[in-house]
Amino acid sequence: MKRILFFLSLFLLVGGTPLLAADVPTMSKEELKKRLGSADIAILDVRSGRDWISSEFKIQGAVRAAATDFENWSKRYAKDQTLVLYCA
Amino acid sequence: MNSPLLLSLALGCGWIFSSESLMIAGNSAGTLGWLVIPLLLGTVLLLICNSAITHNVARSNNLHSEIALLKTVLGTLPTVSVALASCFPLLIFATTGLLVTAGYTFNEVFLYWFPNFGFAFLLLFCLTICQLLPTRYLIGIQLLLITLAALGLLILGLYGIFSLEQPVTAMLTSPRVSSSTLLSTSLLLLLFVGPTLTQGTAKEYVKRSIFVLAILLPWLLASISHVPAERLAHSTIPFMTAARKIMGEPGRQLMGVVVIAGSSAAVTALFLLCRQKLKELAYEAILPSFFATAGERWVFAPIAAIIIATCMATGLAGDEILEILLRSALLLWLFSHCLVSIAAWSGYTAKSVQPMAARFPAILLTIGCGAAVYSSPHPLQLLGYSFLFLIACGGLALPLVIIHHRQKETS
Repeated sequence: MKRILFFLSLFLLVGGTPLLAADVPTMSKEELKKRLGSADIAILDVRSGRDWISSEFKIQGAVRAAATDFENWSKRYAKDQTLVLYCA
Repeated sequence: MNSPLLLSLALGCGWIFSSESLMIAGNSAGTLGWLVIPLLLGTVLLLICNSAITHNVARSNNLHSEIALLKTVLGTLPTVSVALASCFPLLIFATTGLLVTAGYTFNEVFLYWFPNFGFAFLLLFCLTICQLLPTRYLIGIQLLLITLAALGLLILGLYGIFSLEQPVTAMLTSPRVSSSTLLSTSLLLLLFVGPTLTQGTAKEYVKRSIFVLAILLPWLLASISHVPAERLAHSTIPFMTAARKIMGEPGRQLMGVVVIAGSSAAVTALFLLCRQKLKELAYEAILPSFFATAGERWVFAPIAAIIIATCMATGLAGDEILEILLRSALLLWLFSHCLVSIAAWSGYTAKSVQPMAARFPAILLTIGCGAAVYSSPHPLQLLGYSFLFLIACGGLALPLVIIHHRQKETS
């Protein structure tokens, strides 16, 4: 019984994480491509460490921002602006 | 496959063509301009002299490894601590970084739909399986990886030089004197992470250095001539920038092969170095004799792979701290070389070497080590983590040393 409970908890923990994140809206690359260059959108590159160091590319017009520094950089953008964050 | 030169190449040239090494070399070339060539030659000369002197002192004292040399000067526990700290943190953190970089390269250069982390894990799995093979097959695979990386780099370097409209000497940039000049100079020492100085003869060291320079110098000359110095100095992927400038898309793809093959060779070399170090500790009767047997690979490789996979899975590669941990590990490798050099100096007895000559490499290496710390953006963190690794390695090895010592006493 203990084992079943353990695996059930593990399953809920692993499987439940994406469900918790489901409230965050996502944007397809086609949609983003159409809106590139528009003033109502700000693209933030929140990659860090090797994810940032090793990559050759970034999305056109993207600004680098530390994911942990949300409090600071979030003030720079208007509330009606769409913020697009990418991390990989 | 028993040729000492091939073994020396397999162990000693694994790191030099890795993405980490190419980044250090590219950034240094951007900062130092044409000065990088004489400084690189000077670094190689220093390491050759150091190898010759250390080898001579060790042999004349009938010592067969750097562990034995260190043990005579430092004693047992500090020797274990230094020996393990010089390679184990490097294996864990450098492998984590190198594999993730290889994953990104594969994803961005070859197959954009293949997950980068998936490739990193797959590569780790394949390289761990290789570690389980008998040594002669492993060395064969390692030589193949090194040849692939070296050939790719040589093609790009020569193409870059011969495609220039002006002679290469006219294209070389002047060194820029700034705070990063000292750092760039001292970091050149870190290009030569490799086997112990007492392992193999100085002649093999010379041959290996000639091979490395024959590949690296044309590449650096081509990089300096094609990419603006400022960009080369500050890019996190100067090798990819240079390859694209030199040969366009085919250059990127060729560099992709170099990065993946070079990083795989570096990981294999680091695994081999750690295993070699454990073997030397067992030969010196500091650790149990199990570590000197052929069966050790079945225990060591999977455990190390699990630790590295855990580091990757927990997102260490995406954290800025990895770079500091990696630099601390590299610093410990350099520090252990300094200690071996100082041990050779203090344990000097060979009549064929003049004492003054024995002092210079030790002094220069120590200055280089100090400069690498001083000019780093995070000197205190570097020192802190290095100290922590030394303590941790000593602490982890202590029970093994005590158990082995008791076993020896009872038998």
